[in-house]
Amino acid sequence: MDEPTTTAQPAPAGLGAHRGGALHWLRIVVLGLAAPGAATLIALVLPHAGIASAACLYLLAIAGAAVAAGPVAGMIAAIGGFLGLNYFFTPPEHTLKVRSADDAIALGVYLVVAALVGALVTRVTAERARAARREQEARSMHRVASAFLSPGPLERIVGDLAATLADVLSLERTEIRAVVSDRPITVRHPPPRPGEDGPHDDASRRFDLPLTTASGSYGTLIAYATPSRWPPTEEELGLARAVAGQIAAALELAELDERVSRARTEADASAARAALFSSVTHDLRTPLASIKASVTSLMDHEGRYDEVQRDELLGTILQEADRLNRLVGNILDLARMRAGALTPDRVQVDVEDVIGSVLARMRPSLKDRNVRTLLRPDLPAVALDPTQIDQVLTNVIENAVRFSPAGGTIVISASRWESFVEIRIADDGPGIPAEEREQVFQEFYRRDRGDGRGGTGLGLAIAKAIVQAHGGRIWAEGSPAGGALIALRLPVAAETADAETSTARR
Amino acid sequence: MSTILVVDDEPQIRRALRTALSAHGYATIEAGAGEAALDAAASRQPDLVVLDLGLPDIDGVEVIERLRGWSDVPVIVLSVRDDQAGKVKALDAGADDYLTKPFAMEELLARVRAALRRTERPGSAPATLRFGPLAVDLARRLVTDDGELVHLTPTEYDLLEALLTNPGKLLTHAWLLRRVWGPNYGDESHYLRVYVRQLRQKLRDDASSPVYILTEPGVGYRWLPDPDPDPLRT
Repeated sequence: MDEPTTTAQPAPAGLGAHRGGALHWLRIVVLGLAAPGAATLIALVLPHAGIASAACLYLLAIAGAAVAAGPVAGMIAAIGGFLGLNYFFTPPEHTLKVRSADDAIALGVYLVVAALVGALVTRVTAERARAARREQEARSMHRVASAFLSPGPLERIVGDLAATLADVLSLERTEIRAVVSDRPITVRHPPPRPGEDGPHDDASRRFDLPLTTASGSYGTLIAYATPSRWPPTEEELGLARAVAGQIAAALELAELDERVSRARTEADASAARAALFSSVTHDLRTPLASIKASVTSLMDHEGRYDEVQRDELLGTILQEADRLNRLVGNILDLARMRAGALTPDRVQVDVEDVIGSVLARMRPSLKDRNVRTLLRPDLPAVALDPTQIDQVLTNVIENAVRFSPAGGTIVISASRWESFVEIRIADDGPGIPAEEREQVFQEFYRRDRGDGRGGTGLGLAIAKAIVQAHGGRIWAEGSPAGGALIALRLPVAAETADAETSTARR
Repeated sequence: MSTILVVDDEPQIRRALRTALSAHGYATIEAGAGEAALDAAASRQPDLVVLDLGLPDIDGVEVIERLRGWSDVPVIVLSVRDDQAGKVKALDAGADDYLTKPFAMEELLARVRAALRRTERPGSAPATLRFGPLAVDLARRLVTDDGELVHLTPTEYDLLEALLTNPGKLLTHAWLLRRVWGPNYGDESHYLRVYVRQLRQKLRDDASSPVYILTEPGVGYRWLPDPDPDPLRT
């Protein structure tokens, strides 16, 4: 019908009932009076309108006022209707007196029906509003839960939760200030725009909620409400508290995760230290044992050993002392590498000179191998640390000697490849299986030679660290002769190398 | 009999050196610290000094510098450090040679012999030095290889002469540059790279397995062979 004119909006009306403010009360009173007023006018205008039709119109007005502005408006409309009915429609008209008993009964019935209609309408309206609120709450808790469960960096999860809360409560802004694993986290929704010198919030509409779980406090959720939603209702505060609880739970989970991964890293590091320690102990003791055994044999003065046996013992001592020296060198390099102190001291050097000096120094251990060098004549000078690259080539060539048969051939070639120089060292031993070609560059990775005389498992790892510190690359392939081939590529100019290294770091 | 001053703070190393050197016919004097070494060098006038760089009182490089103030005695440095910067520092201070610990005794003995030969050479060097097929006439600045004349530019010849008149000695970049190019040079090691490469080509020497010129990368160069015995003098 035509009354009341405002369409009912159950949720805001319901929530509105809890809000204070003169405007709000004015609206209730005006609607409460306007509805029976309008009904009176209509009944007076309508021809032959009797007390019955007027009463019906008033009842309609009461229902309308109750739906539009709540039970108080309904009550006002009911009283207005009663007065209107009495004044205009029960004889004597234009007085508040009632002549006939019939009219008195009609008025009494009207009052009862009016009260029932008002109460009924109010209840239905309130039910609808509550149902709508519940549905909205459920929906927002679902969003909160899904934000919480979605994987991702902590800031994103917390940001999603804050955004959901801001959405549901139509907040102007939310801000989360928390500390997780000694790391401060600040999340703002909406995120601050670049160039904006901080939001200007109305501090009078701010409410803070602590982010706490059973096991601790992580920070504060700060919310700024919009003017129309201030102050927040109990339900809104409850919802906000629930979301704050979820945020706190997410923060706690992140802190626990962090603690677990920290503990795991520490455990890994300590396991690696233990492995290093036992490996180093074994590797240091073994050559020392051989040396001591040989020396104590030689000190036996009873002439049990002939010339050949003596030479053999002396050869063992020399060999093992060299092995010990290499091991100590590698361990020192490993320590330097781990301390991040492998900075190359670069000078311009010809690659063939470095190869020449390594081969000259290694001549004794290369005496049972044919060494062939294939060096392109157009090799450029390279900016490198000669001592370090000497170490790389020594480690790689030593490996080739260790894994190739006596009388075997080791081929060392070098060529220019764009802005790099590539050095390749190939042997004709058994080669490295394809699946081990990455692993051989790991610390303490040993290939079993079958006779227990493998290396220290450090040589190639150190070679790799040095080559990388030069901005280069080292890898293993199969050699054409079926053996192993180690290739390394070094940038010709230090600038390229440094640029590459810094790119790699970024 | 040549006398060698052994300077090292480790008694075990001194004992090993003493045993080996005396077995090869050298007399030895020992010092365990820098000041004592300088005193011994002044009072006993050794023919050669074997010097450890890590001494308890003063740095080995300082010992070389102070020694060079009044003596030309050859100095062979022993050190556990093997970085090129440390080598260059000791050599530029006036050391003749450098060996990294641990070393093989035969290697040290070879360096000792080479250093002593350089000082024992009589005042007038032989007019022609021979290294197998290579003959260098120092008076006429002529180089022949297997009897064939090798054409060298004046700079190439000066560099060759600087190298082969110091056989076995490790010559640093700075020393060679000053000797060949002049006192205002010292940092231009790329000159040396270019000229050594040209020399090697003309002498048919291979950088990856050199017979004549060995590069100590980042440090300097060493002329490898000793001259053949002079038939006129022996």
